[in-house]
Amino acid sequence: MIRTAIKGVFAHKLRLTLTAVAIVMGVAFVAGTFVLTDTINSRFSTLFDDVYAGVDATVRPESSSMTNQSGSFEVELARTIASVEGVDRIATGVGGVAQIIAPNGDPIGGQGPPTIGSSWVDVPALTAFRVDEGNGRAPVAAGEVAIDVSTSNANDLSIGAEVKIETAAGAETFEIVGLVSFGSEDNLAGATISVFELSEAQRLFGLEGRYSQIDVLAVDGVDPETLTARLQQALPSGIEAVTGSQQTQEQFEQFTEGLGFLNTALLAFAAVAVFVGAFIIQNTFRIVVAQRTKELALLRAVGASRRQVMAMVLTEALAVGTFASALGVLVGIGFAKLLKVGMDAMGFGMPDGPLTIALRTVVVGMMVGLTVTMFSSLLPARKASRIAPVAAMRDTPAARRSLKTRALAGTGIVLAAAAALLLGLATDNGNALMLVAFGSLTGFIGISVLAPLFARPIANLLGKPLPGIAGRLARGNTARQPRRTAATASALMIGIALVAFVSIFGASIKASVGDTLDGAFPADLSIRSSNFYAGVSPAAMDQLLNVDELDTVSEFFFGEVSVEGNRAMVVAVDPATVDAVYRPDASIPMDDVGEGVLVRSDKLEVSGWAVGQLLTIEYPSAQTIPTEIVGTFENQNFAEYLITTSTYSEHFPGQSAVMVFATLADGFDVAEGQAAAENALTDFPSIDVNTQSDEIAESEAQIDQLLGLFSALLGLAVIIAVIGIANTLALSVVERTREIGLLRAVGMGRRQVRRMVRWESIITALFGALLGVAVGVVLGWATVASLAEDGLGTFALPGVQLVVWLLVAALAGVIAAIGPARKASRMRILEAIAYE
Amino acid sequence: MALALATERNVSAARIEDAVKIYGTGDTEVRALDGVSVEFKTGLFTAIMGPSGSGKSTLLHTLAGLDNLDGGSVYIGDTELGSLNDRHLTELRRERVGFIFQAFNLIPTLTAEENILLPLLIAGDRPDQEWFDLVVDTVGLKDRLHHRPTELSGGQQQRVAAARALVSRPEIVFADEPSGNLDSKAGSELLEFMRRAVDEFGQTIVMVTHDPVAASYADRALFLADGKVVDHMWSPTAASVLERMKTLGA
Repeated sequence: MIRTAIKGVFAHKLRLTLTAVAIVMGVAFVAGTFVLTDTINSRFSTLFDDVYAGVDATVRPESSSMTNQSGSFEVELARTIASVEGVDRIATGVGGVAQIIAPNGDPIGGQGPPTIGSSWVDVPALTAFRVDEGNGRAPVAAGEVAIDVSTSNANDLSIGAEVKIETAAGAETFEIVGLVSFGSEDNLAGATISVFELSEAQRLFGLEGRYSQIDVLAVDGVDPETLTARLQQALPSGIEAVTGSQQTQEQFEQFTEGLGFLNTALLAFAAVAVFVGAFIIQNTFRIVVAQRTKELALLRAVGASRRQVMAMVLTEALAVGTFASALGVLVGIGFAKLLKVGMDAMGFGMPDGPLTIALRTVVVGMMVGLTVTMFSSLLPARKASRIAPVAAMRDTPAARRSLKTRALAGTGIVLAAAAALLLGLATDNGNALMLVAFGSLTGFIGISVLAPLFARPIANLLGKPLPGIAGRLARGNTARQPRRTAATASALMIGIALVAFVSIFGASIKASVGDTLDGAFPADLSIRSSNFYAGVSPAAMDQLLNVDELDTVSEFFFGEVSVEGNRAMVVAVDPATVDAVYRPDASIPMDDVGEGVLVRSDKLEVSGWAVGQLLTIEYPSAQTIPTEIVGTFENQNFAEYLITTSTYSEHFPGQSAVMVFATLADGFDVAEGQAAAENALTDFPSIDVNTQSDEIAESEAQIDQLLGLFSALLGLAVIIAVIGIANTLALSVVERTREIGLLRAVGMGRRQVRRMVRWESIITALFGALLGVAVGVVLGWATVASLAEDGLGTFALPGVQLVVWLLVAALAGVIAAIGPARKASRMRILEAIAYE
Repeated sequence: MALALATERNVSAARIEDAVKIYGTGDTEVRALDGVSVEFKTGLFTAIMGPSGSGKSTLLHTLAGLDNLDGGSVYIGDTELGSLNDRHLTELRRERVGFIFQAFNLIPTLTAEENILLPLLIAGDRPDQEWFDLVVDTVGLKDRLHHRPTELSGGQQQRVAAARALVSRPEIVFADEPSGNLDSKAGSELLEFMRRAVDEFGQTIVMVTHDPVAASYADRALFLADGKVVDHMWSPTAASVLERMKTLGA
């Protein structure tokens, strides 16, 4: 029997190929994701290890595990450390954010990779930066800087040139005396690097007379652990010593933290691809079994048992699954390579080196492909095993089963999905996302179970306007096997539903942004740095306070803390000024917050806390402070806890404000206020002064960018669905060989045959897209409605975008039909008529 | 008779000259047609008889423009088929030729009426309502027009196919074992209808069959063996045909 199955696979190359493609793409996405993230991880791990290889121990301000906030200590400590037994040499340093300004006045970078500022370390074994032969020299005096080779090349900033660099103290002009490399690389993953002489760096970063880190080289024969232990004993409290490898590991982990998100996001898209693929595989096997009814019945008639027939179909699935999964892993490796090249091209510099192909990648890729294939072929295999031997003699397939059971089952599944979805959207804890994902998944399955019920009426409706006999036949062909049409359309439904959802969600966010800004932020101007890692520094704030055109100027600080053991963001506001620029609907006046904390009302409710209760808040300074909940607030998108700036500055010394809001003084309009504020900030080129409409435009642009990215990735699901349509059509064309032969014999032209197939494809695609848009709208509406309390109040329907997606689906139909239509039109009439 | 085909007897509706058709090469070479020359006069019903492998189906297919010859020439009216490209051949099949196959004659998604009108629908032509009614009446399908093929009996399906073959008033109708899959009652109904189409409408019909009873409905029977025309018979009867077939070793 197994031999029969294997022969079956190779006897139908077309079938094999088409089924395989769906699996290949899903598996390729999974494998590609693993290969890419593994490669990035391993390349950077190697780079960090190389660069910090010489550091045996590091002394730094003690920090709690959650975050690496910069702190500093007195220079005297260096002498203490140098005198510890086993210390050979030490390297002292400070670091901070340094924004390089391009000759045209624009800030370079800052929206993605960090803009690193650092002091020069003169001990080769202890420095991450290197000045290669011919790249000038290290900075040795005030007014000198060395920047990274990549930034120099990309911006035409060569040795000897003057460059403006902005720090918390404001922008100053420096002379470029050298170009640094990060270990063997010209650049650290797209970061800009500015290196200054030590005392100059201390001045720029506001750390005069202080160090933020000391790296230690041990004398020969002293191992890092021993050295670290000795150092720790010599250090005062609040300052710790760690081994070099631990420091490297922590730095590396911090650096690759964003990678986890990339990994999750890519795997989520891979899951969508695999899910869509499962539909296609199931559909293909079902059609194939239906087409082989006679052959399978003959096997039963000559004595094969049900179990053997089932085993045969499953063996065929196993063969296809193994082949396609293996191919998928290979394609995935190529895919990762392509992505890596793409990331390099986008300036996200990646260390050179081979791709990392872990055993896990191969195993997981194969497992995913095989599981999905086997699981998807179970139902068709069961169906095959139930073919009666007598079917070998019959020409027509068995009568249709009633759709009643299907209607009941489908409705049940959809209701269960809706319940899970609503529950997920209503809850506010960690299970919410799982419930929503589960609800969406089952929802798709439920709709696809129900879809055959609508296939006939919708196909007739969509096909009605198509003219001529080709249109009439296309309509009839789409409606004749509702299950097949529905299953094919369902695959497209998923992709379209997700893009429609993303479009609706995005449009609703855009619509809500304006409302939120109007309602919660009555300020006229918002001021913030274009650099992700910088803010509005105290020096910049001083400038703003002197602007006559502005009335109230109020700072907002963000900080990461741990509340009752959970990571959380706190927002700090200045009670004296905040009322003019921000309305959080607090339950008590801001002046009365004092040392306490305001908790967002929904968070309070979910956590079961009460006003008056003490919360344990742990700050990065490793201080744990019991803090009283003094009240609640609403209407806040970005944080759940609100404290005063005075509480904040105790625990986050020297931080820059993330955001400054300002109102206009009497008698000045927005343009005058904006111009005056910009004028006051000429020393801070990276700080932008925005009006409310600027803010709205900017967030809309950001949302659009994100939407574009999501749509592009979800487009993959659409591509897989197109393959599914092509697959079904190709098999249908084979199945209707005699019919097409007859049409040709009685005078149908090749063009008409092609048109017939193409229109069937378009009807199927539009059917799927309509289902998808419907599901997307429902999902979008439910999500937006459930997020109403979180400030997403307005449901917006992006009509044009949705119509565009329908057109894309129709186009997908045209593309999917190319191959099958050609095949149909090229049939040799006599062979077609005689086809069995 | 007013609606009969405007055709004249004793004119050639189709003819084939020195036809050669070879399948395979070398040792496996089979000469399906080996120098066949036949003429089919307008308004005549011809049955082509012969044992399996005698070349009778090949003869029909090449006559109908469904297959091409390796030697010789085929004419429908005055049109030589060998010089036509696919588009012109398609047009010719649609407008000048009718077909009835042994099985699978109908498109399952179309109603009986749409199946009958198929050649006209393909051409985008309007049907001649009077002619359509007459044809439908003659085959006795008036109350079956809105049924789908699966709702019709085998005999009814073949009569729909016959009506389709006539509806575009083709110069010639080719039938390939049209009653082969039918029981004797349904078969004779169909053959009687074909006979009437010749007698009343002056239709030219060429039918391949191996059934002597079917052949007895024809005006003339041609006998093929090993790719050659070996005999012919006017006004064949079932008995005379059977007698002749025996000597052919069928």
